[in-house]
Amino acid sequence: MKILAFDTAARACSAALFEDGRILASRLREMERGQAEVLLDVVQEVLAEAGASFAGLDRLATTLGPGSFTGLRVGLAAARGLALAGDLPVVGVTTFEAVAHGVTAVEREGRLLLVALDTKRGDLYVQAFDSTLTPLAEGEVLAPAACARFEGEGPLLIVGDGASLLREVFGQNSRAVRWSEAPGHPEAAVIARLAAAREPSPALRPIYLRPPEARLPDG
Amino acid sequence: MIVLGIESSCDETAAAVVNDQRQILAECLHSQVAAHEPYGGIVPEIAARAHLDYLDEIVAGVMADARLTFDDLDGVAATAGPGLIGGLLVGTMTAKAIAAFHGLPFLAVNHLEGHALSFRLLEDLDFPYLLLLVSGGHSQFVIVEGVGTYRLLGSTVDDAVGEAFDKTAKLLGLGYPGGPKIEELAKQGNAKSFDLPRPMIGRKGCELSLSGLKTAVRQTVARLAGDSIPSGDLANIAAAFQTAIGDVLVDRSGNAIRQFQARYPGREAFVIAGGVAANQYLRTRLSELVKGEGMRLHVPPQKLCTDNGTMIAWAGVERLRLGLTDGFDFAVKPRWPLDPHASSKGGGEVHS
Repeated sequence: MKILAFDTAARACSAALFEDGRILASRLREMERGQAEVLLDVVQEVLAEAGASFAGLDRLATTLGPGSFTGLRVGLAAARGLALAGDLPVVGVTTFEAVAHGVTAVEREGRLLLVALDTKRGDLYVQAFDSTLTPLAEGEVLAPAACARFEGEGPLLIVGDGASLLREVFGQNSRAVRWSEAPGHPEAAVIARLAAAREPSPALRPIYLRPPEARLPDG
Repeated sequence: MIVLGIESSCDETAAAVVNDQRQILAECLHSQVAAHEPYGGIVPEIAARAHLDYLDEIVAGVMADARLTFDDLDGVAATAGPGLIGGLLVGTMTAKAIAAFHGLPFLAVNHLEGHALSFRLLEDLDFPYLLLLVSGGHSQFVIVEGVGTYRLLGSTVDDAVGEAFDKTAKLLGLGYPGGPKIEELAKQGNAKSFDLPRPMIGRKGCELSLSGLKTAVRQTVARLAGDSIPSGDLANIAAAFQTAIGDVLVDRSGNAIRQFQARYPGREAFVIAGGVAANQYLRTRLSELVKGEGMRLHVPPQKLCTDNGTMIAWAGVERLRLGLTDGFDFAVKPRWPLDPHASSKGGGEVHS
């Protein structure tokens, strides 16, 4: 089963082609913005490197969020467009899962994994996983200080592009808290592996975790 | 030649399939008006989310209605600007994905070009012609010299005509979108009951300025609003406002026609496009003017004047015939004037 996975939810654009337990080709470009201009070229590079074509794909996979609203739209519009174009099933993976599964089992052992993603608005998208990578609660938006409560739940391993916002909250020297060496952003190769073991999503709905900013008129 | 077109630059999610024989093979439009109505205007993030929620189904629907598969297409077009960036990204990424999958050309269409060329879907109208583009986000006089070649004669320096209608409707408590509501109410009103300014009339050129008119409406409303404004006064204000807009457009159009005729003697086509072209009162006023100036008025039917996918698919046909295709690295342009050489505010402004 050939799976094409890609991600544009955070500060990168990545794509990977996966078949029979291995990655045939992958690309990751770190970028703050501009994913819309490179995604399809990156995808085509990956297919070309693997000697594959769109017509030979069996499944697509991408990130559902949370993340940059713009990044989510770029990735999900492309996924929905490709799915429609090729009548392909799509597996949606949360950004939390994608980041969590990028952490090695050795690092995670005996620790609660806290995925903290930078919302770029001063707070964090947060979700905690146990050492088997089962989520312990729904993802949520939290101020950095509000994350202190996780310290009471056991030894922590923190990962994600928002991890740096928690340095002050937990302190550099806290023995109960460790900082993961993992990249902390979603990678298409990880998403592809996850997608191979899952059922396709019936509807590819974005996870924003934040309502649109809009104010009702007075009165 | 068959092209799929996608429009998602503002608050309509739309797609259509059109061929180069001027046939509309299928078209579909989802209006988000109800989602934005409580806010009295378009909320960009709500619009962006709705485009993503609806677009793929709409595209699937038009392909099914046209009884075509993607391999039957010759190109995929999408509005790439001007407009709200969230919707532009959803539309262009969907189009790029379909084009990439099937090895088809991608066409990044300027939304204003979609309006400018829309009448050519109906009949074989030769270039050049004079265009008045009037909508909620744009108000400009343009000479359409060819596909991709536009000469801006003048545009609004502040509010677009449709925007002035919407803001006036809001002041009168008529709700959003305001254009059709003002037109309806104005029928029962006496335009002479209130004296509103006619900005720019008598001045050279064909620029528009409508913020002064809007201010005058606001002051009029404030003066009347002790408790609530009697419905008769509301109708009178609506009529006075619409008549003022009509007077301004007739004056400015007269200047635009003379500039066009000086540059292209003997050419007589005057096209009105954009959502405001649906206004029957303004259409009648301009029709009278155009006849008197020895020009012919061409107005596409209403569904082709308001935002739609059909005009984008057609602009895609026009561009594809000339080989004007775009790469997948095309970056959407929230601001994208039709005439890049124009010095005045060129109408590349974002819808709002």
